[in-house]
Amino acid sequence: MGAHISIPMYERTVGQRLAFEGERCTDCGTVAFPPKGACPDCRNDEFETVDLSGTGTVYSHTVLSPGGAPPEFAGQARAEGRYVAAIVELDEGPRITAQLTDIDPETVEIGMPVSGRIRRIYEEEGVVRYGFKFGPADD
Amino acid sequence: MRDVAIVGAGQTPYGDHPEAGIKELFASAFGAMADSVDRGFDATALDAAYVGSLGVGGSQLGITGASLTSHLGLTGLPVQRVENACASGGFALLDAVHAVGSGASDAVLAAGVEKMLDLSGDRSKYWLGVSGDTEYERLAGMTFAGVYAIAARRYLHETDAEREHLSRVAVKNHENGAVNPKAQFQREVSLERATGAPEIAAPLNLYDACPTTDGAACALVVPADEAREYTDDPVYVTGFGGGSDHLALHDRETITSLSAVREAAEAAYDRADKTPEDVDFAEVHDCFTIAELLAYEDLGFADRGEGWRLIAEGRTRRDGDLPVNTSGGLKAKGHPLGATGIGQVVEVFDQLRGDAGDRQVDGDVALSHNVGGSGGAATVFIYEVDA
Repeated sequence: MGAHISIPMYERTVGQRLAFEGERCTDCGTVAFPPKGACPDCRNDEFETVDLSGTGTVYSHTVLSPGGAPPEFAGQARAEGRYVAAIVELDEGPRITAQLTDIDPETVEIGMPVSGRIRRIYEEEGVVRYGFKFGPADD
Repeated sequence: MRDVAIVGAGQTPYGDHPEAGIKELFASAFGAMADSVDRGFDATALDAAYVGSLGVGGSQLGITGASLTSHLGLTGLPVQRVENACASGGFALLDAVHAVGSGASDAVLAAGVEKMLDLSGDRSKYWLGVSGDTEYERLAGMTFAGVYAIAARRYLHETDAEREHLSRVAVKNHENGAVNPKAQFQREVSLERATGAPEIAAPLNLYDACPTTDGAACALVVPADEAREYTDDPVYVTGFGGGSDHLALHDRETITSLSAVREAAEAAYDRADKTPEDVDFAEVHDCFTIAELLAYEDLGFADRGEGWRLIAEGRTRRDGDLPVNTSGGLKAKGHPLGATGIGQVVEVFDQLRGDAGDRQVDGDVALSHNVGGSGGAATVFIYEVDA
């Protein structure tokens, strides 16, 4: 029982799991991450691929208590205790939800600079899934 | 579009029903609804039914609607399940109002049902997360409480609200649940207990969250000009609206205001030709305490960033000038996902007809607000009775 992101689903979004591959609207220049079916600003449906920096700031966050972790994250919760999930506002504009890592949960603040790094996310269908988490920007 | 009215509304008690599955819960709510129709009604005359259910646990994911109505011997009529997560009930009512308002149907059942407490802990945690964004929010290890906690942290950052104001929502709603015989938690909680409860997703604790609940609710929707064939005291649905938004908080312009609610509310107020000042009392979707504060603002009861003042000043208590969640709300009455939007109708129906017992408040204009996910879908209704 997990989040049911099958291997094919995961593979189709590998540019957003192992990299910060976004898209820029060819009309108004708005950057979207993860990619959308239409520009979030002008609804144009033509884009060019852009590699985002993977750096940004904490927009808001929560510290999840281990007892309530989703089943697929129960192992992480048992091993590490409380963990931080945050919305990060990327330097190019879009926001994304991800875990924070390499940081004391009590020291996280809105506005704190963070940068992305590839980490083990969870395991499903017997396969370890890697993806990005964010940590202190000067790491 | 012709005017519509509700002439019957009933529900099961909310809580743990080890003896009942979804069919038994539905039958019980249907019976309570039928009993509330003053002059009675012929169930075989129903010409459509809409049943809100998230289908938690997958008990009957396919053709849920007809599995319930046929259990009561009602076959032949078109029935469908309506799914918009926790707003499934609200959208079932919206469909029923559209069906009657269009002239296509003359007697429509709007229902909701959910059986949650059959689930093991792991399955429950799985299902409770499926109404957010699966591909990114969930893959950050997020829970549903976590999504609302992120909104709450941002709200506390952007406004002058304090953590304690969240707990005051729980205290108020438990005060109301304590006098609602259909509520899951018929007991008060102290502010000290609410603020000191174990943390689940900082800054939210256990008393900021609604429970998991078994329950069902039903309402009978008919044309306004036929309502008096059923009762001398119909409740008119004068305003209605729905809205939608991105599922993930990170895709929205703001996370401290739900645009799906603002769209639904604007449509409902416009249609009813009412303003927020006209509303005498409301049932709002307080799945987490922060959600009630956001509702005050998105429904126009308070300016943006000022909703916490309503709870700080006690204005939304039962004895305040704008009682909110006299039923106990999702927090104390309980939250059987797909049933919740129709359960809100039951409270409004009882209050507007003077049948709300110890929690009766005054008013001729009421509002209900039902939210799916963290705001991916929402409905707002305005109800009136003859003054």
